[in-house]
Amino acid sequence: MIQMHAFYIFLIAAGLLIAAFLYVALSTRNAREINMQSAYGLRKLLFFVVLAVLVLGIGMTLGKTPYPKANELPGKVVFVVGKQFSFALSDTPITNDQDYEARTYGIPVQVPAGSLTEFRVMSFDVNHSFAVYSPDDHLLAQTQAMPGYVNRLRVRFDQPGRYYVLCLELCGMGHHRMRGVFDVN
Amino acid sequence: MTAAAADSGLWSEAELAKFRRMTLIWGITVLLLLPILALLGYFMRLYQSGAFSGMRAEWFYAVLTLHSLGMVGTWFVGSMAGVSYLLLKYTRPNLAVSKFVYVGTLLGVVLLIACTLGGLFGTGWYFLYPLPLFAQGVWAPWATFTFFAALTILGVCWTIWTLDLLRAVAQRYSLGAALGWNYLVGKPGPELPPLVLITTVSLIVSLSGFVAAVIVIALFAARALGVNVDPLLMKNLTFFFGHDLVNITMYLGIAMVYELLPSYAGRPWRTNRTVAIAWGAVLFLVMFAFFHHLYMDFAQPTWIQKLGQICSYLLAMPAGVVSIFGTLALVFAARMKWTLSSTFFFLGILGWGIGGIAAVIDSTVEVNFHFHNTLWVPAHFHTYYLMGVVLIILGFIDHAGKELSGLEEKPALSKLTTALLLIGGYGFLFMFYWGGVNSVPRRYAIYPQEVIQGTLYARIAVGFITLLLLGILLYLWETGRRCLKALA
Amino acid sequence: MHKTGPQSRHRLPFRWSFRAACVAFFAFSVFIFVRVAFAQDSFGQPSQEPPNEERFVYKLTPDVPITTSSGVQNLSAIWHEKPVLLTMIFSRCARVCSPFLRSLNSAVSDAGGLGTDYRIVVLSFDPKDTLADMQRLASELGLNADPDWTFGVASPSDIRSLAAATGFWFQWDSSTQQFDHASLVVAIDRGQLVRMLAGPSVPAASLREVVQELRGKFVASYALAGKVAFRCFEYDPTSGRYSLDWGLALMLLPGTCAILATAWVFFLLPASRKKRNLI
Repeated sequence: MIQMHAFYIFLIAAGLLIAAFLYVALSTRNAREINMQSAYGLRKLLFFVVLAVLVLGIGMTLGKTPYPKANELPGKVVFVVGKQFSFALSDTPITNDQDYEARTYGIPVQVPAGSLTEFRVMSFDVNHSFAVYSPDDHLLAQTQAMPGYVNRLRVRFDQPGRYYVLCLELCGMGHHRMRGVFDVN
Repeated sequence: MTAAAADSGLWSEAELAKFRRMTLIWGITVLLLLPILALLGYFMRLYQSGAFSGMRAEWFYAVLTLHSLGMVGTWFVGSMAGVSYLLLKYTRPNLAVSKFVYVGTLLGVVLLIACTLGGLFGTGWYFLYPLPLFAQGVWAPWATFTFFAALTILGVCWTIWTLDLLRAVAQRYSLGAALGWNYLVGKPGPELPPLVLITTVSLIVSLSGFVAAVIVIALFAARALGVNVDPLLMKNLTFFFGHDLVNITMYLGIAMVYELLPSYAGRPWRTNRTVAIAWGAVLFLVMFAFFHHLYMDFAQPTWIQKLGQICSYLLAMPAGVVSIFGTLALVFAARMKWTLSSTFFFLGILGWGIGGIAAVIDSTVEVNFHFHNTLWVPAHFHTYYLMGVVLIILGFIDHAGKELSGLEEKPALSKLTTALLLIGGYGFLFMFYWGGVNSVPRRYAIYPQEVIQGTLYARIAVGFITLLLLGILLYLWETGRRCLKALA
Repeated sequence: MHKTGPQSRHRLPFRWSFRAACVAFFAFSVFIFVRVAFAQDSFGQPSQEPPNEERFVYKLTPDVPITTSSGVQNLSAIWHEKPVLLTMIFSRCARVCSPFLRSLNSAVSDAGGLGTDYRIVVLSFDPKDTLADMQRLASELGLNADPDWTFGVASPSDIRSLAAATGFWFQWDSSTQQFDHASLVVAIDRGQLVRMLAGPSVPAASLREVVQELRGKFVASYALAGKVAFRCFEYDPTSGRYSLDWGLALMLLPGTCAILATAWVFFLLPASRKKRNLI
């Protein structure tokens, strides 16, 4: 899971930094003059190491963005509207408050497993965040729901089950109870 | 430090005494705000742990708004006051401006308290358009108006302060000299203290941030008059302002470390070509890195998203290779005077580094897809704030307090304070990181069933915050005493 | 210890500069007011919303054999090379078919991309139409020599399955001896329907949007109700193009102001010009 990988990288890098600070702090017990040329040499090495790590990181990750790609086509479209304080999901466009009310309380949209689904997400009022949680409660995917824009989020669901949607952008007093739902089968 | 300012020939003793007094007033104000705002944070984690289940959630969001804006503002003014004081050695900031800004800041704080605790205004600190105008009956229009009035007063005052400090730098240094350009081309010139270099860079960036804030407030007014504004434009401007404000607060804190840590290490820390290049790079990169706040706005052009990631990553270079390495090289095997102040400076740089690592990780688009608006976000910014710039500013206030009161510290008490802050602080932070890894959203008053583990993490965090608060109280007792004695 | 500089350093140093700042702020406020007061009503939906596009979008198109001047080939032989704009008419049409095809041709010329981003397939749903009838129709429209326009016929059962999958409908009206039918062009990318344009004519702006989508991009913004004063880029549905708007200037303003303010402080303030004697 990508969250755990990121966490391990964080722990390793933070651990190295803490170790360096601890080492330096303990070194003050034996005070002595340091060779500035060696220090500059070490800094130069650090520069290249950090640069290499960053360039590697950029190279490995910059191509893997969640934005819609031209070379892939979804098999299904789901229309989503966020509004204080619920998400409405539908197979057909939600164009007004009546559609929104009907779809907020309607039967959950059915999404086929294994195929790429495109969520077209917008908002009728303020910024929300359409965040899809898997049946085992991991954050799978998200995009912002904004008035005036349609964000297209494409996700492939391999695991059948009931998926809940939470709002991850503070949108008012009901922010924590804002939900949506759909089924994958 | 004050002896150095006195020896500079820039000040009379009477003027210097007045400036010291003003700095102490700023310091004491920061020390008064710290426990109040920290307790508000404590309340939030307690609420999330279920301790106040009978209380309406609106209180959580109002407290969230006050705590977050309050902390951002407090540490900004703490940084500015600290840097103003340290600049006395090199140039002449204007005392009248400092006093004016102090009064304006107090007024802004009062208005913020009124609209949040009085009016239940609860948009969070970045008041994302158009949420302030969609109260759903929770806060009244007067609260929205008061909120924007507070922001306007604070923005105007802080812009004037920024301009005055820049003017003070300009009195003694040309623009090229202040940005260290002579070091870049290898020309000999007047020695440029790193404090002046970093302050100049930070002040230029903060000016751009304040202009963005003015535009945001003006466009809110346009919306109130019935004209729509593009929400994506507002989001870009809002995060440009917020990102700048938070980052330059930290940079000013780093500037204080560059200035003060050398005296504890018994070694100099001078500007050289590398330092000048690093901070020049920061001036450029920090203007574009803010795009990392908008990765989940898929409507933003993809090339801008990628530019955000590249600039965010590259910002790690000057921070890591120059400032953090510089700190380590300065202290390594030095005849180090470990006091509370120097310890806080040293640990503050470490905290800044750890928070920065978490920030760079989250600034990867692919990772942000899973971390955006989860607890990973407050995890990283609390790390480089609470365990970073806050420690540095507390270290500065302690340093100034000792210098001006003449009262020495008690080593055992200092060690205990440091231990409590470290254990309490990093324990509290770890629960945020772990929450982010486990998909717990940020800014939730109550955790629903899907993320119910958030309640347990909040309970554990409460335990650590208790230790942290004890550490803060011990610090306040010791340092507060010294500052009050120096003021008397 | 000595005092440096005249008494005036104790006053706020911005006296004339403060006035300049006030003028600048007033000018900015006037700009915002004028822009807001004269804000245009925003455009409506960028394209004519087809009635049932959402029922068909991303659905698979049946890969039926068609007969063209190149012989018999499956539709996939064409859409595997390039996305396809597919429409259905009949050659005896006395009403909308020819004007519809002319407007499609005109829109294609305006929107561009024919041959590079897509090709066009025109099929007849009339069982009595032959390939010769379709070629004659193409000749009348001046399109028979264009390699990116393909005119053809298919079996009635294949036409029916194609129509059902893509939203076309047609019905014989014996009173007029004509077919009643939909005027429709659908965009098919790798066998999946991605867009549908319905109506007696094809606006160039709508086709431009469809071509964008075939290139993998789409118009992400839509019009908010009422006036909109600032965007970074404004989408104009009549031309189908984006143009820069004042919002972009607002994004550039903070950095520009910071540079100007810095220059003002360092170069224009009187106190700054007396500096450097002290260094």
